[in-house]
Amino acid sequence: MSETKTLTFAFMDPPFENERTITFFRLLDAALDKGSNVRIFAYEGAVALAFAKQQPHGNAVHGRETVEEDHPLTRDWITALQHKARVKGLNFEWINCGLCVDERGVNEVIDGCGRGGPPDLWRYASDAFNTLTIGTR
Amino acid sequence: MSDYLFIQSQDPFTEARTQSHYQLAQTLQQAGHKVSMLLVQNGVIPARHGAQSPLFDELQQSGIAITADIFSLAQREITLQELKSHVSPGHIDTVIDAMLAGHKVIWN
Repeated sequence: MSETKTLTFAFMDPPFENERTITFFRLLDAALDKGSNVRIFAYEGAVALAFAKQQPHGNAVHGRETVEEDHPLTRDWITALQHKARVKGLNFEWINCGLCVDERGVNEVIDGCGRGGPPDLWRYASDAFNTLTIGTR
Repeated sequence: MSDYLFIQSQDPFTEARTQSHYQLAQTLQQAGHKVSMLLVQNGVIPARHGAQSPLFDELQQSGIAITADIFSLAQREITLQELKSHVSPGHIDTVIDAMLAGHKVIWN
């Protein structure tokens, strides 16, 4: 049986603003589908992806209430990926840059997401089989 | 010799840096490396028939294998029949395959 490889992703985009966020989550999902352990180092705006107080909202322009609008939240996507990893027996680790968290006041994060700093990115990248950094440009 | 996969999310019509992205890929190819490119997000725009981009046409002729993310195409209502001849449809897991194969994967 082949050894499970670990892939690291570094990401810096905030939720709800850029298509890169969608692509990033698609990559994480694909990595789990391929049987990889996944480690994420989130920095700058990306630390808000795991913010526990994200709230869905309705859409008054389209006349839809909150439930009907079913607004997607990145914290729920992270939870879904955590669940998927557990089911598949894979590791899914998420570390937010602590300085970036403090700057933005998004200290309350969902379970399973930790706080760290640049040395964690170094450790993640050093230990991983491969690493992808997704820049803003 | 190394294997490179470029994830190209930018397009030459709205982002001037795309020219440098294409050039880097072609330079590596010319240096003997194996280079492929996955177009995602607006990166798929120049792959559509009728999109006039000399930069992308040059890229197509370089021998670099170019794949367009089917999800990104669908979001932009670009059908597979509308793709230029040197572009193949593909999926995002191309990136994971490359990472697991130890290739150098670069996001643009």
